[in-house]
Amino acid sequence: MPGQIQDSAVASIPRPRESAFAIGLRRILRTPSSRVALVILATIILVGLLAPFIAPYDPAAQPDIVGLKSLAPSLAHPFGTDPYSRDVLSRVIYGARLSLAIGLLATLVSLTLGVAYGAIAGYAGGVADAVMMRVLDAFLAIPRLLLLLGILVGGPQLSIGALILFLGLTGWFGLSRIVRGQVLALKHAEFVTAAQALGASRRRILVRHLLPNLVSPIVVAATVGVAHVIVLEAGLSYLGIGVPQPLASWGNIIYDGADQGADLWWMSLFPGLFMVLTVMTLNILGEALRDAYDRR
Amino acid sequence: MTPSPPLLSIRDLKTYFYTEAGVARAADGVSFDIGAGETVGIVGESGCGKSVTALSILRLIQPPGRIEPGSRIEFEGRDIVTLGDEEIRDIRGNRISMIFQEPMSALNPVFTVGDQVAEVARVHAGMSKKDAWDRAVEMLALTGIPDAGERAKQYPHQLSGGMRQRVLIAMALMMKPALVIADEPTTALDVTIQAQILELLVDLQKKIGTSILMITHDLGVIAETTSRVIVMYAGEIVEQAAVDELFTRPHHPYTEGLMHSMPHIGHDQERLNVIPGTVPAPTDWPKGCRFRERCPYSWDLCEREHPPLYQVGAGHVSRCHLAIEPERRGSPHTPLVVEEGVAAA
Repeated sequence: MPGQIQDSAVASIPRPRESAFAIGLRRILRTPSSRVALVILATIILVGLLAPFIAPYDPAAQPDIVGLKSLAPSLAHPFGTDPYSRDVLSRVIYGARLSLAIGLLATLVSLTLGVAYGAIAGYAGGVADAVMMRVLDAFLAIPRLLLLLGILVGGPQLSIGALILFLGLTGWFGLSRIVRGQVLALKHAEFVTAAQALGASRRRILVRHLLPNLVSPIVVAATVGVAHVIVLEAGLSYLGIGVPQPLASWGNIIYDGADQGADLWWMSLFPGLFMVLTVMTLNILGEALRDAYDRR
Repeated sequence: MTPSPPLLSIRDLKTYFYTEAGVARAADGVSFDIGAGETVGIVGESGCGKSVTALSILRLIQPPGRIEPGSRIEFEGRDIVTLGDEEIRDIRGNRISMIFQEPMSALNPVFTVGDQVAEVARVHAGMSKKDAWDRAVEMLALTGIPDAGERAKQYPHQLSGGMRQRVLIAMALMMKPALVIADEPTTALDVTIQAQILELLVDLQKKIGTSILMITHDLGVIAETTSRVIVMYAGEIVEQAAVDELFTRPHHPYTEGLMHSMPHIGHDQERLNVIPGTVPAPTDWPKGCRFRERCPYSWDLCEREHPPLYQVGAGHVSRCHLAIEPERRGSPHTPLVVEEGVAAA
């Protein structure tokens, strides 16, 4: 705690108000690797957002199922075509949109559940906490992919909405552990006692005093969480139980070429590349954010 | 000497902590009054029960601690011990507020100080965001923060220690409470700032007319701010008197020891005088007089009988058997404890 030598107006330089998000962003931009990651991720997001304007073809159109099927990359089709004669570049571009959206929305579901569950367990403490944590242990013991397979295999083909919901429902256990730990550590902080001494209710203390202090671990967990969901979705789509046709996601593009493996190399290389880039950049940014907040 | 009826009246307050090592009787039968507008000090070493007493008044004791049945804390005609959650919340920060020792950790690091001061008015007066903010800035200015409008937009880590303590004072006085409990309000501050903060407290007290309960281990703070002093030792009140009386005629050997352990400017001292030994464990208070083993005057009576609070002067009570055998003060002996040579840190 510097600046305590004198109690005067010059003890510290006034700075404009900054949100935790702005502080995080400013700090991660200092490292070159995260700058590059941010640019790549922003580009992929932009590609997804602008898909209808930049995709050269309709991603679902099958113009000539005989003459244009399974073509290697060429000028007309830079990423080649799939066995149904669809343009792979267009499908990868639309796939960016869908894969990112699924990642984001499913993570939002996980965040809401994980924060609520963890915060309540940590703040309640005692028996409630113990019971809630044992339930969580049970869920954590089952690998997420296995849990999803158990839910999805054999059932009817799910809509995108239901898929997002299930991805979200299976993704909050770890986060809620983190939140619970933080709440537990903070609930005896002096500023919590001080808030109590000023007459704040338990709910107000939890929502207004404790949760805002958890923004940084939550942001970090969310960033990495999105990457995780993207990989999971690809895995499920690859198994044919993810995103339904004719919609394109990175996972189901690879699935479309899977049975002919190495012959249709472009069908796994390009969507795979996009996926790896997205996941890598998200992880780099997640780690950079963790460092940025840790320094405080 | 207390104006009647008192604002706060504590009777036989027992706050016990049920730990694995046993029952810690942190406050063990504490009784005192605070009159309207009065400043009362509680002084004692760490672990004597002064902070627990303060937290009990706001019912902020966390499990495994609890206020024992039979304890009474009457404030403005109501018994705080038996109030419902809603009612006690309405008193906290509104009628009784508290200033904490460490201004950095008592402020929430992720909110501006203005937000935190304003929140008090939003909780208790249901003010709009805008009105509460204006009121907060006004209050911050009143505590002597220059350029309060701009300062209010800053975060705790951007302020100096003294500034932060002013913010806490602003929060505590926001609702013009009847009683402010100040728990070591200057301990974490530089000496020069300490004086400023004490002056500010006394000044604001006059303006607002609030009572103050000053908790400290520092007799200097007591001398400067309070009119009446309570000395606590091992969970009990051992002496109580008007401040002048206590400083000129301390009765309890513990009070005497506290005064002797204050360094004096102008006296050549090889080393500081210390009271030998340490405060006993609160799970295991000694029988008889709890200060007996550290006392230079103790005799067999002190082991047999727990001393009551003897009246030793006008408004002056002391929990020491010397009140009935004053001649023993003339022949001190070596205390029973082996001196551990702990100098004042």
